[in-house]
Amino acid sequence: MSKRTLCKFFAHGACLKGEYCEFSHDWKDPPNNICTFYQKGVCSYGSRCRYDHVKVSGNQTSVPSASAALRAHLGPIQTSNPSGFPLDGQAVISSLSKPAWTCNFPEEDSSSLSEYGPLHLPRSVQPSDLPICSFAAAGSCPYGEQCPHTHGDLCTICGKQCLHPYRPDEREEHIKLCQKNSKRLEALKHSQEIECSVCLDRVLSKPSVAERKFGLLSECDHPFCISCIRNWRSNSPASGMDVNSALRACPICRKLSYFVIPSVIWYASKEEKEEIIDSYKAKLRSIDCRYFDFGNGTCPFGTSCFYKHAYRDGRLEEVVLRHLDAEDGNTVIAKNIRLSDFLGRLHL
Amino acid sequence: MQASRARLFKEYKEVQREKSADPDIQLICDDSNIFKWTALIKGPSETPYEGGVFQLAFAIPEQYPLLPPQVRFLTKIFHPNVHFKTGEICLDILKNAWSPAWTLQSVCRAIIALMAHPEADSPLNCDSGNLLRSGDIRGYRSMARMYTRLAAMPKKG
Repeated sequence: MSKRTLCKFFAHGACLKGEYCEFSHDWKDPPNNICTFYQKGVCSYGSRCRYDHVKVSGNQTSVPSASAALRAHLGPIQTSNPSGFPLDGQAVISSLSKPAWTCNFPEEDSSSLSEYGPLHLPRSVQPSDLPICSFAAAGSCPYGEQCPHTHGDLCTICGKQCLHPYRPDEREEHIKLCQKNSKRLEALKHSQEIECSVCLDRVLSKPSVAERKFGLLSECDHPFCISCIRNWRSNSPASGMDVNSALRACPICRKLSYFVIPSVIWYASKEEKEEIIDSYKAKLRSIDCRYFDFGNGTCPFGTSCFYKHAYRDGRLEEVVLRHLDAEDGNTVIAKNIRLSDFLGRLHL
Repeated sequence: MQASRARLFKEYKEVQREKSADPDIQLICDDSNIFKWTALIKGPSETPYEGGVFQLAFAIPEQYPLLPPQVRFLTKIFHPNVHFKTGEICLDILKNAWSPAWTLQSVCRAIIALMAHPEADSPLNCDSGNLLRSGDIRGYRSMARMYTRLAAMPKKG
């Protein structure tokens, strides 16, 4: 049931449970927008509540929350409150709204029970299915040793008890993510100090968020703000400056670069720069080129265009380059040849 | 407009902070207009301009630093790349080779370098250029020295 409800955390990009989540991580599934407080009778937000104030018919378990789902699992096993947890009120609710299937399980699973003995928990309640204590995962658990949930192992990078002891995949994923994040944080710290030589400001201290980005030049390693370097490069050649030797060159070393890559962090090594450039190009490749316009237009950048050249049916543009001999004996690559080119050159 | 003001303000602070960094250059901002600056530069040693103090006027466009500042000599100077009457300077970095990474300070340094190394092939002052091109180094030096004494050095007595 709950698998078909969109996970709230996932929707915000912050679900730590990954594939072990009780809720659906499929955008097609509808979110559960029913106010849980309203179901219990009082919602202090009243008409201002951002959740739906509708009555759900009694025996439907369509108000699934993580704890409710867990209680459904554990209900028959933990009959009393084992840890002095302030669960009393909820325990009553859970016994009242106990789903029908939990009552039948002893008959269903009696064979498996006898086979595996009493240690085997019914309905696949294995250690890896139990979530870890979210308080401990977020920093500290107020119940400490007495917490009824498993506390995760300490992640040495983020310093939180968020590694699930029985889910190796999740652990690995978390550690990988943590390493990536800490690396990024380090790079960001390092990038704070870097100044743009056009505005002489620190790039990441610019007043507006949109400006706090570096503009990387493809051919050299001098830092600029994205807005500064783009403004300079789009400066009109009418101002007397040559496009290739001045405008498209690095203002510091005058090395010619054909494109600028926006980036929030400044790289420390060649590999990191490559990575930034590659991810930028990959992002642009997924966007349809507005000049190509699904085949209706012509893109002046041709095969060098960073954007996607695809037709409406998803077919990618196929480019056949035509090599021609030029008057001076060199080989040139011909673009589409149009009659208008010839007519335009005629002197009548 | 805002960007140029911010950048000039940064340069102003930098100039205030490092007043003694380069004793040959003294940059002064106009009290009421940050787009008007004057500079006093010392003539480089071992040139006819040695010992002279030359005044430069900077007029900074609103698109600065995307466009170069307009600089001219207020002090009369005999130099192949400086217009004798208007003080206009022929220097590539102030025209087509400008880069926004240049600052007023570095422009002053470039002008000092130009004084030490005149480019006779693109003259604004033909008389001076012709002297150099015809190889009359002595003639050029004495003319330049005379005008330095007349215009760029404090009068004695």
